[in-house]
Amino acid sequence: MLSGKLLVFALVWLAAMVVPNRASSSGRVVIYDGVTTQVAPAAIESPDLWITTQELTQATRFEVKPQGVCRDELCFPIPKNRKEVMLRQKASVTWFNLSEFARMLRQPVAFDEKHSTWFFGARQAAQNSFVDTLEAPNFTLPDINGTMHSLSDFRGKKVLLLTWASW
Amino acid sequence: MPGWQKLFHELKANNFEIVSVAQDTGGVKDAGPWIKAANPEFTALIDQKQQVTMLYDMVNVPTAVWINEQGKIVRPNEVAYVDNRYTYMHHIDAAPYVAGIRDWAEHGDKSPFALSEDEVRRRLTPETADHSQAASEFGLGEYLYASGFGPDAIPHFKEAQRLSPDNWNYKRQAWALSDAERDYGTSFMKEVVKLKDKPYYTPRQLPDLKKPDDGKPSPPEPDKKNP
Repeated sequence: MLSGKLLVFALVWLAAMVVPNRASSSGRVVIYDGVTTQVAPAAIESPDLWITTQELTQATRFEVKPQGVCRDELCFPIPKNRKEVMLRQKASVTWFNLSEFARMLRQPVAFDEKHSTWFFGARQAAQNSFVDTLEAPNFTLPDINGTMHSLSDFRGKKVLLLTWASW
Repeated sequence: MPGWQKLFHELKANNFEIVSVAQDTGGVKDAGPWIKAANPEFTALIDQKQQVTMLYDMVNVPTAVWINEQGKIVRPNEVAYVDNRYTYMHHIDAAPYVAGIRDWAEHGDKSPFALSEDEVRRRLTPETADHSQAASEFGLGEYLYASGFGPDAIPHFKEAQRLSPDNWNYKRQAWALSDAERDYGTSFMKEVVKLKDKPYYTPRQLPDLKKPDDGKPSPPEPDKKNP
């Protein structure tokens, strides 16, 4: 009786050890706006990156709304002819094609097959907006002690932004 | 960096700040010793993902951008040396540039070194699709490298270099993270030799403060031949 209980315990323990490993080895990684998010293995056979709408919000903060795909005040309506390639219903889950969304936004994507990793870069329109406005693109980075500083903290001063490297 | 510290100390009373950003995938490990040694009073940040290179479409170090009190660019990407310690290599005299920084710190937008909006726009080129794709490939390479998969990062670094062939940051950083000869079949010195008469840095376009006979600095002269 005791050994039976032990066996059950050992099995549960083993399952707990094995399941996360399996998830991470067949799981996928999305890097969006510099933020890295693990998403579940693919459920739709496609070279494109299909993720659930819940994962979409986790990874990108974009939400699928009736008016389009939205984040804060930004909203991209989905053209009728793209709806089918962008959204798919499977069981009770809605899947979203992030690769197609990137194509629509002219957003660059780099992909590594071995590590199932997708890197989404800056949308070209956003990247180039400063060419019109001349506003210096903002960034937030750490100093040597890990304290974060933003370029915008220095508004009101003349700033010499200077890049260098140790290499 | 000690040269910049000296200049900053001289100019800081003029509502002037230096924000230095190390473009180093190795982060504190690589950039830290230099920052500690110089111990600057100005802001010294570390950019492991080379965000600033990508945001400003920079291709080299050291590169500086001048930003006015309203957060607008008044001089875009430009080679920025504070002294002549490497002049024997690139033949760029730091003096006229440093004189420009002093003039700008004192006179702000009225300085002839602060360019008009039209001139800044003329000098800024929209990033091409190839350059944004290169930034993503490089970003993916850096992620893989930082995750402990250095050899798997190499094809992505190579793709970034192919898409943005004039970007030295993508080359030099990748070479520094690996055995350049073994993994890339080249080295920094070999590539510099290949340039022959082509300058390593895009030549600066600075107004000449001495030229006009009325003693006033001349307005910046756009170089039509080399846009």
